[in-house]
Order: sequence, then C-alpha cells, then structure tokens
Amino acid sequence: MPRYAMVIDRQRCVGCGACSIACRNENNLSEGVYWSHKITETSGVFPNVRFHYLPTLCNHCTDAPCVRGCPTRAMHKAENGITMHAPKKCIGCRYCMINCPYGVIYFNWKESHQFWKNKQVLIPEVTSSPVEETRKVGGTVIPYYNPEREATLAGIRPKGVVEKCTFCDHRIENGLLPRCVEACPADARIFGDLNNPQSNVNHLLGKFKPFRLQEALGTDPAVYYIRDFSASNYPRTKGAV
Amino acid sequence: MKSKIWFGILGVGILLGLWTAFRVYTVGFSLYAKTDVLVWTLPLSTYIFFSLTSAGLAFVSSIPVVFGVHRYDIIEKRTVYLEIAVLLGSFVCLILHIGSPLKVIYIFLSPNPSSPLWWLAMLYHVYLVALLIAFWRINIGKVSKPIGIIVFLIAIGTSTTLGWLMGMTDARPSLNASFFSVYFPLTGFGSGIAALLLVSLVYEQLRGPTGSDKLAELYNELARIMGMIAGVVLILFLWRTIVGGISSTSEDLRAFQHMIGSIPYHIELWLGLVVPAVLMLIPQIRKTSRGKIAAGFLFLLGMFAGRLEFVLSGVIRPLGQMTEGRPEFVSYMPTAYEVFVTLAGFSVMLLVYTLGERYFNLHATPEQR
Repeated sequence: MPRYAMVIDRQRCVGCGACSIACRNENNLSEGVYWSHKITETSGVFPNVRFHYLPTLCNHCTDAPCVRGCPTRAMHKAENGITMHAPKKCIGCRYCMINCPYGVIYFNWKESHQFWKNKQVLIPEVTSSPVEETRKVGGTVIPYYNPEREATLAGIRPKGVVEKCTFCDHRIENGLLPRCVEACPADARIFGDLNNPQSNVNHLLGKFKPFRLQEALGTDPAVYYIRDFSASNYPRTKGAV
Repeated sequence: MKSKIWFGILGVGILLGLWTAFRVYTVGFSLYAKTDVLVWTLPLSTYIFFSLTSAGLAFVSSIPVVFGVHRYDIIEKRTVYLEIAVLLGSFVCLILHIGSPLKVIYIFLSPNPSSPLWWLAMLYHVYLVALLIAFWRINIGKVSKPIGIIVFLIAIGTSTTLGWLMGMTDARPSLNASFFSVYFPLTGFGSGIAALLLVSLVYEQLRGPTGSDKLAELYNELARIMGMIAGVVLILFLWRTIVGGISSTSEDLRAFQHMIGSIPYHIELWLGLVVPAVLMLIPQIRKTSRGKIAAGFLFLLGMFAGRLEFVLSGVIRPLGQMTEGRPEFVSYMPTAYEVFVTLAGFSVMLLVYTLGERYFNLHATPEQR
C-alpha cells in the first residue's frame, strides 16, 4: 500500500498562489475556506527586510491528533496515509480544529457559497443575479462547480461540519496528481509514495535535508519542505563591536 | 403572583434558547461570535460550568450514600434532583454548541475510544440514566447504594475526562495540562456545594425555613467546606498563574499570559475565590444565610468566568495557517445569541429545579437504606 507524501521545494516556489486557486476550483471551496493556504512573514528591520512565504496544507500526519480526538471516526486515516473526513459522521464538535497544530481544518459556520445563492439583481434588466449566472453556465450552486469531487466526498460540504484537504484523493484514485501539484507553474510541489524507494519524493528527501512543521509534537507529517530561496548576497564580514 | 413572574422569566429564557436554536440551524453558527480561530466560546464554557457543577453535586450526594455519613441524608434528595436539573442545563448548551447534533448517533455507530469526547458522551448517557434511577429510588424512599456508587464513579469520570479533553491538545499548551484533571473535580465539588447552598437557602428565604437545626448545621458545615475549597483552589490558581503565566518563557503559553489581564480571569480570582474564601473564614458571616448565599453566588460566578477564561486561553491565539492575516491574539465578545444559549441553559436548569421543589417534596429525607 502506498504512503503518500508531498515535498515542497521552497527554492522553486514563487508564491504565486496558483496552488490555492486550483484547489478552490477542484474542491468547490467556499469563501473563507482554504484547503491550500500559506504562512507569510517578514524578517529584519526596515530598510533591511525580507519576505518569507511558506505554502501550507493538511499535513496528513501519520499520528494525526485530529483523528485521535474525533469521537465518531469522521476524521480517519485511509490505508494510503491520507487523512480523510466523512461529513455524514461529523457532529460538528470542532475538537479536530482544537487538536490540529497546523490550523488547516475549517468549519462551515453557514451554508457554503452564499454569494452564489443570491437571487438579487444588481441592475434590473441589465445584470444577472448570481443564481442566474450559475444557471446560464450550467453550474451546480456555483458556476465553476466540479462534479468530479463527488467521487469520494460531498461535492460541497454542508453547514455544521468541518472540511480540509484530502490530497485530492478522488484524482489519485484515477492515477492523477493532486490539483495543486499539477497547477504549480514552477513544479515546486512534488507528490509521491514514501513506501517506494524510487519515488521522486524519496529521491528529494535523500538529497536535501527536509524539515516539517511542528515536528516536536510527534505527529509525523507527510508534507516535507526542502531548500529555501534567496537571490541576495552580502559582502563577506565578521561583524563589528 | 411571584411564582407566575418567576415562571414567566424562565419561559422567556427558554424561548430565547428555542429562537437561537431555530436561527442557528437555519442561518448557521455564524450567528455566534466565532471565527475559524474562536472555535470554542461561551456556549461550550457554559456547558463545562454546568457539567462540573453537576459532577460536584454528585460528590455531595455520595457523602451519605457511598461514604456512609448519614447526617447528609437530609439533603440527599434535593442534591440528586439539583444534579439532574444542572445536567439538563449542560445538555442545552452542548446541543447548541455542536454543529450537527442529529448525527450524535454516530457516537454509537462509529465509536472512537481514543477520543476523550467519545468517553464523555458515553459517560453522560449512563450518568443521566443512573441519576434518574437514583432519584426515582430516593423519591420512593429507598436510596440505592449501588446506583449511588455508579453516579459517584461517573462523576469522577466526567470531571477528569474533561481535563483529558483539554490536556490532549498538545498544540495548545494553554489548555494542555494534567492540571485540569485535578482542578476540574475540585472546582466542580466547590461549585456543587455552592449551587446547593444557593438554591436551598434562597428557597428558604422565599418560603421560610423548611428544615431543622440539623439542616442549619449541615449548611454551616457545607459552607465551611466550600470556603476551604475556595482557599485550596486559590492556591492552585495562583500556582497556575506563576508557573504558566509569569515564570514560563514559552511562546506557546502566551495565550494564557494574555488572558491573565482579562476580565474573566479577575472575576474568577477576586470575586470567585478570594472573596468567598474570606467570607467563609469569618464565622459571623458563615453562619448567616445571606453570607452563605453571597459566598455561594460569588463562587459560582467566579467558576462561570473561570470556565470561559480557560476555554479562551486555548483558542485566542491562532495556530498554523490560521495566523495568516490575523493578529497574535484575537479578541472575543459574545453575541446576543451566545448569551441566549447561556440564559436558556440556566432557565432550563432553574425551571426543572423549581418544578421539583413544587412537586417532589425535595426536603424529604429518604427513609430506608
């Protein structure tokens, strides 16, 4: 059985956000929900300041605290290592959100895609309402609805339950890469099987010293980061007193 | 006339709860002051408050049944009934906290024993049934020791499992401590005594004395125990502050350090612990009904604020990608709907208790053992 993992090459990542946009389209995400996201920070003191960009997603931890804490096994581990969620079993207690150290689980506080359910026309007889717009392009609830998501999960998750990244398990089942991996224009995301010694992920993990987020917690994340990017240089110095 | 006004007030509280339930399940939980960061707030902390108070009442009710201290027999019936009322209040808050309560059936169909939440759900089901049986037995004058022992053990289970629930969250050290598995049962015991003193003595104030000198002595004894608990809890509370809030340099504890300056923290410390402990230290105050009522009320107020303080300590600091675009600490102010949930919990509890006073002769002492 494979054990899927992702390597994110920070030297290749340009921070364009294509992964996040592709994820939104693929998984029919609602406003405010980010299965694929980022952590940005700055270091230094002005004018010597630098911007850092770290792409984030569910870490599909081997010892996932969200899975341990879920009272109904709605959050569970698939055999291929993916942390999956079954909305029909989710009671909406949000204990997984409390347990997750990475802040990657979202709760549907209200019906998803409220904007696209609006029947109000901005300018009568000139513009369409969001509902009309969706109907005209043949969408379901939203104009860009992706029915393929329904293969393993509710196409749009109902209110009162949580949701998170599934490594695009519905695509993997069909031999396709996760959508964020495919969409990355810089090939900064590399997906593969940790149990296959010849996989690209193992090749990279053997070549570069990786780090994972919050490793000290012992969750054994399946998302690895390698390298960093810096085009800058500085004059050789020993500093001064 | 007074009772009509009382039932009217409780009715309004319950109607507000029903209105909240309708709105929350039609519009969504966005009506609460919740974000992806503030996932647990006032409804959950109120549930914890009720739950621990109920466990504390179970400890009180176990004194005569489990430990054989028979001078407590005269308050056994009232204590067990109040326990049921408080537990029902906690269920109201819990139901209005979780997103999909109808799916709770999956706790049975798809159990996960590694989850403290699963154990809590299991324990509460048995707890309610055991309490109802215990009260039924007491109501017919026959106290059941086996049921009393079961209730006592489950109360230990619920109050300590709540500590496990918080302690399992390695990512949130402000919640993470085996500390709470000690702190919860102890504060629950204090809350149980405070609730019992408060409702019993307020009832006496309204209806005139219903008990004997023995009962008055027992209330004095309970007040003394409550004062001692307030003192012990105060010491634990201060050490929690010193260890986690002052001497620790851990970044992970900054949420708790932030909460040390908050209103709920100071309500718990001063009104909930210091003042009741001092009041109950002074015999002239401790022996008066009003002194006991004031101390009981303040202790409960402090515990109510304290439950909110530690829930917020765990959630106000965003983690991981939730930090993006957010300040280091998010602020919290409950919405009207969250307040309605709390009011509904109290209204249900008080309504059930008032009906008990009216129909079940709660000051009766079980005759057989």
